[in-house]
Amino acid sequence: MKKRKGIQMALSLLLLCSMILSGCGGKDNGSSGQTSSGADSGSQAQNTEKEKPVKLIWYTISGPQKDQDKVMAEVNKYTREKINAEIDLRLIDWGDYSQKMQVIAASGEPFDIAFTSSWAFNYVESARKGYFYELDDLLDKYGQGIKKALNPAFLEGSKVNGHNYAIPTNKELPAQAVWRFNKTLADKYNLDVSKATTLESLEPMLKTVKENEPDVYPIPSNISPYLPFDFALEGIPVGVPIDTKDFKVINVWDTPETKQVFDTMHKYYQAGYLPPDVATKQGNEHEKTGKWLLDKQHTVPFADIQWSDSLGYKVVSTPIHKPIVFNWSVTGSMQAISAKTKHPEKAMEFLNLLNTDEHLRNLINYGLEGVHYKKLSEDTFEPIPDSGYSMPSFTLGNMFLLYKLKDDPKDKWEQYQKFNESATNAPLLGFQFDPTNVMTEIANVKNAVDEYGPALNTGSVDPAKVLPQAIEKLKAQGIDKIIAECQKQLDEWKAQNNK
Amino acid sequence: MDNSIAAGQPVNKPSKKPKKARNFHQLPPFWNAVVNLAVGLFSFACVYPFLFVVIISLTDEKALALNGYSLFPKKWSFEAYSYIFRTGDQLLRSYGVTIFITLVGTLLTVAIVSLYAYAISRSYFKFRGIFSFIAFFTMLFGGGLVPSYIVVSQVLHLKDTIWALILPMSVSAFSILIMRTFFKTMVPDAIIESGKIDGAGEFRVFISLVLPISLPGLATIGLFAALGYWNDWFNALLYIDDAKLVPLQSLLMKIETNIQFILQNSAIGSGTDRSAIARSLPAETTRMAMVVLATLPIIFAYPFFQRYFVQGLTIGSVKE
Repeated sequence: MKKRKGIQMALSLLLLCSMILSGCGGKDNGSSGQTSSGADSGSQAQNTEKEKPVKLIWYTISGPQKDQDKVMAEVNKYTREKINAEIDLRLIDWGDYSQKMQVIAASGEPFDIAFTSSWAFNYVESARKGYFYELDDLLDKYGQGIKKALNPAFLEGSKVNGHNYAIPTNKELPAQAVWRFNKTLADKYNLDVSKATTLESLEPMLKTVKENEPDVYPIPSNISPYLPFDFALEGIPVGVPIDTKDFKVINVWDTPETKQVFDTMHKYYQAGYLPPDVATKQGNEHEKTGKWLLDKQHTVPFADIQWSDSLGYKVVSTPIHKPIVFNWSVTGSMQAISAKTKHPEKAMEFLNLLNTDEHLRNLINYGLEGVHYKKLSEDTFEPIPDSGYSMPSFTLGNMFLLYKLKDDPKDKWEQYQKFNESATNAPLLGFQFDPTNVMTEIANVKNAVDEYGPALNTGSVDPAKVLPQAIEKLKAQGIDKIIAECQKQLDEWKAQNNK
Repeated sequence: MDNSIAAGQPVNKPSKKPKKARNFHQLPPFWNAVVNLAVGLFSFACVYPFLFVVIISLTDEKALALNGYSLFPKKWSFEAYSYIFRTGDQLLRSYGVTIFITLVGTLLTVAIVSLYAYAISRSYFKFRGIFSFIAFFTMLFGGGLVPSYIVVSQVLHLKDTIWALILPMSVSAFSILIMRTFFKTMVPDAIIESGKIDGAGEFRVFISLVLPISLPGLATIGLFAALGYWNDWFNALLYIDDAKLVPLQSLLMKIETNIQFILQNSAIGSGTDRSAIARSLPAETTRMAMVVLATLPIIFAYPFFQRYFVQGLTIGSVKE
């Protein structure tokens, strides 16, 4: 390898001369390599090189792992045996992932599998741009295991234009916002946290704590209070009420519900329940100091236990609403296959194995037994601290196959299953807004939201004065055009899906 | 710098005849004090943020969480530094990578730029127009991110090699134009002719005659290049997946962007995953300690170049 790099260096000048020509050529190849031709060459390659294992390049999101090579050697031994494939796992750090994958996908650089989601390397956008392979047929042929493992809402909710472009990770399906309480403080003042159902119901608790602990800000940060709407696009206040019947798209800020939330927050802010600089404050020092009473989080089964564990003191939570399946919660973590892959079948076979094979799934997640973790029983383990390998479990694949921690409840995954089944679908589940026609308006509206949003969400400004201004600004930036476009698409979608 | 010059002059003792003794090179004591104060305040404003970072890095983590940032922390601690050196093989490795690319890259840049600039600065070089244009053109029109990525990763196959951090930055059109002007104005044709008369070839003339009198120019672009390499994180972001090749600034950038990312994406999985990721990030004091460790070496590089800067300015103004 080193020698080759040296030669490459020496030749780089020569290559520089040829770069214009080959640069153009490469681009042409890239854009013409559509899905169909990719499939053909894939099957050909399979016929001719049956003995040689297929190499799959897999990009996923995670911090670097020291013992990645060792673990992957073991993984490859296993996958060679099972599906005659080798995995070239490439980890990209959390903050870099979106940007890097955009460039990789746009440049047509070869890869086979990539992590995608609603919050990093945006799934819907990338699928629309044609970066991903359409998986419908592959799922039927090679992905039966995945279909069996997943709650059907996962595959239904992650469709783009009626097709699946990525495999969702089997984990918690719905989203459920909760008020999370610092139990130490709540107990000290005998607060009944189960009464905290609405934003308004928090007032007496906030008041008690503020009066007795003057140096504590009961709401420590911008909690973005819950609004009962299903948003069509992240970051802009366009959507439908969560219990909508007529599917009428509205400006969320221009509703009595929102007004009330902002008013309440303003009242809290004026009463000193939030820090004065909360609109711009970042960081979570309060979690270390314990000087806080409540914030808003999204929960999963046994979240309270895990939160208490990681914070080092007890927290409890009360749900704000019933579990609801949103588009963004379904697409929270997925694996897509590149549109330009030469081995779509192998990639799918691998994803299927990853989502169904307990040994492989745990190997990739926790590393080698005895080196990176100790196995305690059939399905429990104990990590060895600082051993150099520990991947984020929710980004890789079927979580229900993972070994549990010693302290985890025995029925952890059964509870998850129950949680998933208890959920109701949000009205826009499965509807993906195509923003192409209103790109400028969306960018402008986003700017306006960034300008007013934090101040209104935290109550730092008086909504009576500022909210009309903000709505005016949103209108001036073209939010009505977005709403009209969204309504048009939604109506078409409704007609197609008999909603 | 102004400060030192202004302050360095010994103020004359007031003599018996103050009116006559007034030295027009000197400010009156009052204005001298005002200027000193103003420049002093300005320098302090420049140094203050960094001083603050140093102090935070030396603050006890718990004190920081309880009392916030303070110039006089309640409790001092070296924990951040000892933490880095205990677990920081990544930091040391990144140090190595950064030092390597800075050294090699600077040498390479100076070599390429000076050769290129010298060639197009000579009036008897037939194709100087074309080559000037090729360099100049890139300043006006750039291909953008994706094409340059394609060139580096798919044409040159430099991805995940150290050269991906060096080669893309090794030629700067701006430096070439600076050096061309420098060679044009600073190197008299007579010197080159004298070399030719003594039988020297182009290379000999360049190395033995032109380079020695061009040191200020070389030092200037050398400093630009060194700073560029030392501070570069974007190339690493694009081309480096392998943790062994991540340079220092990129490492810092990664930590910062990761923190930003986790703070802003409350929707990542569930809250529990988020706090698990957040816990894997270094604490505030550790981050500050890393900033200190990443900045110190390049601060010490300045004095070595400073000489040439002053010299370059003088030569430029006296000779013409």
